[in-house]
Amino acid sequence: MLTKRRRMTAAVAAAVTGALLATACGGSDSGSSDGRTLRLWHYEGPDSAMGVAWKEAIKEFEAQHPGVRVKFEEKGFEQIQKTAPMVLNSNDAPDIMEYNKGNATAGLLSEQGLLTDLTAEATERGWDKKLSSGVKTTSRYDANGVMGSGKWYGVPNYAEYTMVFYNKDLFEKYGIAEPTTYDELVSAMDEFVAKGITPLANAGAEYMAQQYLYQLALSRADRSWVDKYELYKGKNDFHDTAWSYAANTFADWVEKGYISKKSSGTKAEDAGVSWIQGKSPILFSGSWWYGRFESEATFDWDSGLFPGSNLTLGSGGNLWVVPKGAENKELAYDFIDITMSKKIQNLLGDKGGVPVAADTSAITDARAKTLISDYNTLSDRDGLAFYPDWPVAGFYDTLVSETQKLITGSEKPDAYLDNLQKAYDKGVPRR
Amino acid sequence: MTALRRYPVLVALAVGALFMVLPFAVVALNAVKSPAEYSAHGPLGLPHGLYLDGVEDFWQRVDFGRKLLNSVLISGSVAVGAAVLSVLNAYAIGIGRIRGRAWVLAFFVLANTLPQEALVYPLYHLSKQAGLYDTRLGVIIVFTVIQSAFGTYLLSSVLGRFPREIIEAARIDGANRWQVLWRIVVPVSRPTIGVLLVFFFVWTWNEFLLPLVMLISNDNQTVSVALGVLQGQRLMDATMTNAAALLGVLPAIVFFLVFQRTLTRGIAAGAVK
Repeated sequence: MLTKRRRMTAAVAAAVTGALLATACGGSDSGSSDGRTLRLWHYEGPDSAMGVAWKEAIKEFEAQHPGVRVKFEEKGFEQIQKTAPMVLNSNDAPDIMEYNKGNATAGLLSEQGLLTDLTAEATERGWDKKLSSGVKTTSRYDANGVMGSGKWYGVPNYAEYTMVFYNKDLFEKYGIAEPTTYDELVSAMDEFVAKGITPLANAGAEYMAQQYLYQLALSRADRSWVDKYELYKGKNDFHDTAWSYAANTFADWVEKGYISKKSSGTKAEDAGVSWIQGKSPILFSGSWWYGRFESEATFDWDSGLFPGSNLTLGSGGNLWVVPKGAENKELAYDFIDITMSKKIQNLLGDKGGVPVAADTSAITDARAKTLISDYNTLSDRDGLAFYPDWPVAGFYDTLVSETQKLITGSEKPDAYLDNLQKAYDKGVPRR
Repeated sequence: MTALRRYPVLVALAVGALFMVLPFAVVALNAVKSPAEYSAHGPLGLPHGLYLDGVEDFWQRVDFGRKLLNSVLISGSVAVGAAVLSVLNAYAIGIGRIRGRAWVLAFFVLANTLPQEALVYPLYHLSKQAGLYDTRLGVIIVFTVIQSAFGTYLLSSVLGRFPREIIEAARIDGANRWQVLWRIVVPVSRPTIGVLLVFFFVWTWNEFLLPLVMLISNDNQTVSVALGVLQGQRLMDATMTNAAALLGVLPAIVFFLVFQRTLTRGIAAGAVK
C-alpha cells in the first residue's frame, strides 16, 4: 500500500514538473562564440553622458564591424554589484561589461582570476598614454587585488571629481561675492549665516558629510599622505595635522552654522534637491550631479574646485572589464578602443561627463568647458585623491555613523579620530 | 448601543486604511510628475497636470511587457505547483499520519525560517550544474519548493483536523486513497487551497533576491528585478522610480482584487464550521 502511494506521488510530481517544463522552457540564448555578436552590459542611464556616448560608440562599432551585432543589455547597479562574481564564473558572462572600480570590486574579481589581463592591449593601443596617473590607479591591480600597481584589468572612459557648486542668483541676491580663495569662502559662509541661511547643503546619512571632511583633510595634505592612506604606503595616523585639522574644522563649521545640525539624517538626494530648489547656496559634491543640475536648475550657477587645496576627491570612473570567460575578446578590445576615440570622448564631454581623453577645444558648452578645464587643471597637478571609504572594506558605514555623531555634537573630534583609527587598523590588509 | 460601539472600530479602521493607502498615494502622485516638478516642489507637491512620460519611458526602457509575461509565468507556475505539492505533502502528514510527522513538520518550519541569502550560493552552484542557471524553469523549481514548505506546514495542520467520519464513510463506499484525496479532501479544503494559491502568487511576484541572482539575461527577468535597473550608483531618478513602482505593483493589486472573494471565503471557512 505504502509503495503504491509513493508511486502515485512520484507520478504526480513527474507530471507537474513535465507541465512546468513545457510552459517554462525557453532558456537563455547566450553563448554565441561565432564572432558575430558582442554582448555588452552597462548600468548608466540612457540620458546620462555615458549612456549617450556609449550608444554612439555602439553605432560606430557596428559601422566598423559589418556583420557584427552588439547585444546590449541595460543592468541595474545593484544587480551587477551582487551578481558579478557569479555571472563571470558561469557560461553566461558577457563579452564586455561596466564594473565598479576599487579593491573590493574590480580588485577582488581580478584576484579571483575572473577578469582578462588587458596589459598588452593597453600598451599596444595606447590607452596607457591617454590616461593620467591618478586615473590609471584604479585600472591596475596587483596579485592581491590592491589597486595602484600590477596588471591592467579595466579601462575607464571618464573621470569624476568633487567641486563646489555655487548658486549665483543667491549670491547676487544677498550681495555676496563668489569666493575664489578659502578665506573668501569662509567669509561668504559667515555672511549667509548672518542672513539666516545655512550656506552648505549636506547629507549626513550618506557620502556627502565624509566628503566634506576628507576634503578639509586634503587641503592640508600631499600625495604621499594620500598614498599612505589609500594605498597603504606607510602607517596612517588619524591624529596627524591633516586629519585633526579636518575633524576640528568640520565640528567648528557645524558649530558656526555653516552645516545644519539637522543634516545628520538626510540623504544625498535631499541635499541635491535643496540646492536645486535654491534653499542652499553652496553644495560640495561630485561631477555626477552635473548633468542633473544642468537640466533641472532654473537659476544661474557656477562650479569650481575647492579653494585652497591642491588635492580633491575623485578618481577614474567605472571600468570596462573583459570577463575571463568572454567569447569575443578581440571585439571587446575594439569596442574599448572606440570609446577612447576623440569623437566619443568629446561627445561624453558635451553631455556633461568628464572625459579622460577629450579635446577641450572641441567642447562647445560653456559650463562643460569649465568642468573639463577644471579637471585638466586637477589632473595636471596630479590632484585626484580618491575617496575616504576606499582603503578598508565596510569603512563607508563607519565613516557615515561617526561623522553623524560629529554633526550632532555627541562626539568630540578627538574621540571621532580615535574611532576611525580603530576601524581602519582593524580592516587594513596586512602586507 | 451597537452604533456607539461601532464608531471607535470604524475610526480605527479608517485610520488604519489611511496609513495603508498613503504610501500608494504618494507613489501614484510622483509617478505622474515631471522630474523638474519633483525637484522644485519635493515629493509631496501636487503635480501640475499629468506627465506620463516617466511611465512610458520606463515601459520601453525595460521592455516591460516581456517582464510582465515572465512574472506571470513564474508566479503562476509556482502558485499552482506549490499548491499541488503542498496538498500531496499535507495529505501524507495531516491525514495519512505518517510516522515522525512532528519531526517532518518541524523540518518544514525550519526550512521556512532559513534566510534566502543563505540559499544563494548553493542554489547558484546547483543550478549551474543542472544547466538551469539563467532559466525561468530554475527559478520556478526553487520557489515551488520554498513556497510549498510553508504550504505543507499550514495545510498539514488544517488537514489534521479533517473530520475522519467523512473519510471513513468514503472508505466504506470503496474509495481508495487516491480517490479520497481528489474527491473528498481537495474539494472540502478548496477555500484554504485557494488562499494558498493567491498568497503564493503574490509572494513570488514580489520576490527580489533570488530572481536577481538567478535570472541574468534581461529577457528572463521579472518585474521586481526590472525595477532595480533604475537604482543608479549615486543618483536616483525619483519620478521614474515611482512610475516603475506603480507599474510593478498594479498587477499584484489587480490579481488580489480578482481573487479577493476566494481570500475572504478561505479566511472565514474555518469560522463557519
